[in-house]
Amino acid sequence: MPAAHARTAPTQAPAHALARAVLAGSGLLAGATVLAIFAFLAWFSLPLFTADGLAGALSWSWRPMRGEFGILPMALGSLALSGTAFALAFPLGVGVCLFACGLGPRPLARVLMAVVRFMTGIPTVVYGFVAAMALTPLVRSALGGSGYCWLTATLGLALLALPTIVLLLHARMEAAEAELRLTAAALGLTPAQMLLHAVLPACGPGLFAAAVLGLGRCVGDTLIPLMLAGNAAQAPHGLAGSLRTLTAHIALVVATDSQSAAYASLFACGLILFLTTLGVNLALRLLRRAPAGRLRTGGPA
Amino acid sequence: METRQPPLTPAGENAAELRGLRVAFAGREVLHGVDMDIPARAATALVGRSGSGKTTLLRALNRLNECFEGAQTSGSVRIRLGGDWVDAYANGLAVTELRRRVGMVFQTPNLLPLSVERNLTMPLRQVLGLSRPEARLAAHAALAEARLWDEVKDRLHAPALDLSGGQQQRLCLARALALRPELLLLDEPTASLDFLAARGIEELLGRLKERYTLVVVSHSLPAAARLADRLLVLREGRVSARLGRDDLERGETLAGLMEELF
Amino acid sequence: MSRPRRGDGRMGTDERLALSWAWLSAGLTLAAVAALVGFLLARGLPVLGLDLLFGATPPLDAILGRRPVWEGIWPACAGTLSLVLLAGALAVPAGVACGIHLAVFARGRSRDLLRLGVDLLAGVPSILMGLFGFALILLLKRTVLPGANTSLFLAAGCIALLVLPYVASATAAALEGLPEPVRLLGPSLGLDPWQDVRAVLLPAAGRGILGGVILACGRAAEDTAVIMLTGAVAGAGLPAGIFGKFEALPFTIFYLAAQHQTPADLDRAWGAALALLACTTLLLAGARVMHHTLERRWKRVSRP
Repeated sequence: MPAAHARTAPTQAPAHALARAVLAGSGLLAGATVLAIFAFLAWFSLPLFTADGLAGALSWSWRPMRGEFGILPMALGSLALSGTAFALAFPLGVGVCLFACGLGPRPLARVLMAVVRFMTGIPTVVYGFVAAMALTPLVRSALGGSGYCWLTATLGLALLALPTIVLLLHARMEAAEAELRLTAAALGLTPAQMLLHAVLPACGPGLFAAAVLGLGRCVGDTLIPLMLAGNAAQAPHGLAGSLRTLTAHIALVVATDSQSAAYASLFACGLILFLTTLGVNLALRLLRRAPAGRLRTGGPA
Repeated sequence: METRQPPLTPAGENAAELRGLRVAFAGREVLHGVDMDIPARAATALVGRSGSGKTTLLRALNRLNECFEGAQTSGSVRIRLGGDWVDAYANGLAVTELRRRVGMVFQTPNLLPLSVERNLTMPLRQVLGLSRPEARLAAHAALAEARLWDEVKDRLHAPALDLSGGQQQRLCLARALALRPELLLLDEPTASLDFLAARGIEELLGRLKERYTLVVVSHSLPAAARLADRLLVLREGRVSARLGRDDLERGETLAGLMEELF
Repeated sequence: MSRPRRGDGRMGTDERLALSWAWLSAGLTLAAVAALVGFLLARGLPVLGLDLLFGATPPLDAILGRRPVWEGIWPACAGTLSLVLLAGALAVPAGVACGIHLAVFARGRSRDLLRLGVDLLAGVPSILMGLFGFALILLLKRTVLPGANTSLFLAAGCIALLVLPYVASATAAALEGLPEPVRLLGPSLGLDPWQDVRAVLLPAAGRGILGGVILACGRAAEDTAVIMLTGAVAGAGLPAGIFGKFEALPFTIFYLAAQHQTPADLDRAWGAALALLACTTLLLAGARVMHHTLERRWKRVSRP
């Protein structure tokens, strides 16, 4: 093709190629990091993958002074705490969304959503700190004990995960509501009926995605369990009992700098955590519909 | 300013020829084998219902369909550029150069939030590599050609988005003209404009077709009939009628077409 | 199962339940947040002032580092600021580049893989990022660099990796969210993809990208789990170079909460918590403003 008046192409081509290479390289950084994290976790937990090592790790007793490095109490702690926190946060989140999508008066709904958005900006450590100062005395007087227990941590963690659930679910519900509003009104449904019987069912995938995301948030958090759950390395006995999660365990062990013999089981904790959140993420991806092609796929006019 | 006008294809010959053009998006075929000749330095209009494939056909000429994921094009598209026939879909063809020489104006003006002058000089500097003074001169010439100069000469540095709809569309036209195209593609250029502004554009196009080859997708059959030297009717991805100037001047054909189309 | 409506306008039981639950949830949430903010303001506001920042040390000396600050949060503030700046310097170019690649250049399979990588990175719990940094130091200690230790640089690097997905996703979303006329403009004029990015797309998406950067800064400022394992300590004073330990606001709050010895310590914690909250709230608000002005500006383009 005759090059006529174009004077740009030749001199800029090498610069463009370099730029594109840099961009492609940066893209690899994310994937490479994830792989590196996995590699490190696996490598450092390697000493455990012997018959003795595994038996030692999969025990219920964490007493480093005696050479016992069982991590099952922490695994159970994570499971228990995430479970209760999620069981509290998810229904609350759905309720908040119902309120914001039509069951509550418009001005109040706007305020509510603004507050939820504000909550995403609250640092986790501030949640933990205020709860530790203000909530624990209440729990102490109600249930006895020190106040740092399963219940307190549940309340704190639920509050933390709530905005995550609400923001995602609200976006989906709003979209569905916009589509279904006229149809529902024409059928003579009240707003409540529309939300309950038309919008919520239409948001099935959205509900699941919000749940998965919220659960991930509960499992992955460190500060709330660390500051509120008591941190006793034992299986939790009841709501007033102290427990320790995998995340808090990692923080504590590294912070107290105990003997490096503990490190292998520490990395094993990390590995469990990593695989769990990996599973959560992949589940979420399978849920998402394939994104529409860039610009549009059905482009005709 | 160094841009030379390439040798104009004489009127009466074809500026582009399409044979067996098929375009599909993600497996769904939109154009099912279109044959078309586009006469040089004349206006060819494409009309049809929405969904008939007019815009896709237009975009096949500057390969803009490829910006959409899953687009597949087959068939032959040959365009006369600089006096030579060029296969638009040849391997190794510089697509960017093709797109400069086959200019496009969209349905709604897509100006950047820059000043009037910057909207013109930016592509001139990026695509043609002109220096700042050269670009400015070329921009002013293009504004004159688009009959916009008198209206904006005192507002060259004002935001382009402050102009009226008709003025913005003429600015987009000026931008396309500034790159010295040989073919001009216009996708419903007056669809977003009021009646007076639309007439202004149509008059301008009537004058431009003496120098440039125009291919216009039109939503209005009467307007297309006024402007076009050749009119193609598209129906569900196929050409269902071809009319020349004489056909268009006969009233009955137009009425019949109106019924058939709308 | 709701009783069928009989046209008399009365609500079925499940609707009544839903209504009550909606009000209850809204009420509980608002009450919880009000309580939290209320406590913070009640205990934190009285403490705000130069004393909170500098303790007994004269402000100018403290800022210039001439005298150490013992009972103020200034070193922690300086530490957090250094951390955010350093992490930002690392994460922003990499994140924006990644986002551009994701939105403009990558196609098909590689694009899906890239997206997967970014999403997986976003899903890694922060404690694991800290553990990663810690493991890195362990490895270095055992092999090449026996003197290696956790430091500001390590922490900033790990934080940069933590917030990279925020920047990349925000950039990609901003670019992909541009209206179609804008995205077709570059190609229709004959710009090649790289020119298109520089001259049309990046300026257009600028504010969305900036919004993402601000969010990333907020995340970097509030994180505790990563820095706990990679170099934040309680009494380091002003950051002494990037290979030294450092103080940080969130860690100071955590430390004081766990180990306060005097009421003054606790007061300082309240003040610090309020300051940190104010900081992150401002950043969040800033990001929202960016996104709104981006939408407004480009609405004009597609609707003349």
